[in-house]
Amino acid sequence: MTNQDENKEGIGGMINPRRYGIERVAYLLMRLSGLGLLAYFIGHIYETSSILKGQVGWNEFLALTQTNEGHAILAIVIAMCVFHTVNGIRVMLGHGGVGVGKPARPDYPYIPASQNIRHKIGIYSAIILAAIAMMYGLAVMFGE
Amino acid sequence: MKIHYGTALAAVALVAVHILMRLTQGFAESLEYDSVIANYKFLPYAGMLEIILILLSVHGFNGLRVILLELKQGRTYEKAVSYGCVVAMIALIAYGSRTIIMVNTGMT
Repeated sequence: MTNQDENKEGIGGMINPRRYGIERVAYLLMRLSGLGLLAYFIGHIYETSSILKGQVGWNEFLALTQTNEGHAILAIVIAMCVFHTVNGIRVMLGHGGVGVGKPARPDYPYIPASQNIRHKIGIYSAIILAAIAMMYGLAVMFGE
Repeated sequence: MKIHYGTALAAVALVAVHILMRLTQGFAESLEYDSVIANYKFLPYAGMLEIILILLSVHGFNGLRVILLELKQGRTYEKAVSYGCVVAMIALIAYGSRTIIMVNTGMT
């Protein structure tokens, strides 16, 4: 049991984006975006509760978020949201057996059938769409 | 994972409506006090906000639970993480519901 525990890499292993290719990067980004979105969601619930303080309380809190820094944070949230959604749909489809290839005898060099070009395109699409959505969000927020 | 996937798909659809409400009205105008109050007082929209609150709380804290359980295992640790996430989820739903109900019923 002791040896098994020593071999665990813990958080360092989880956040290491090297090794295993783009799938590992997607795994890391999925977790980071998930944690970021949960933090934003909790903050959003707290932020919207300021409406109970009336118009003055609402406007005061809104002024805190309607700054360049606030817009930049919201743009990152948009990117995280789009990546998490698109990559999440890819993961769900893969979990359901869509796009993972046909079962075959494992032969050298043992390339996993599930880590194929279709899923790689899915990951790159999620990253590109997240970037486009972030740009659109910035245009909307800074355009007004 | 069925709960995680189910809440995710439902939340994507409803959050899209929530964001479209901000964009169709004009981002800055939609965040004005009177506009937000009007949104909360419109019962179907308030109901949708409540559903989004529940879906995202369940999805978010279940996701956090999965990440924490992936890091470390053990009977006590797993129970603490699971119960901790459920308590945090209920607390967030209660806090968010308070805002929705109070504004919808005019208790501001």
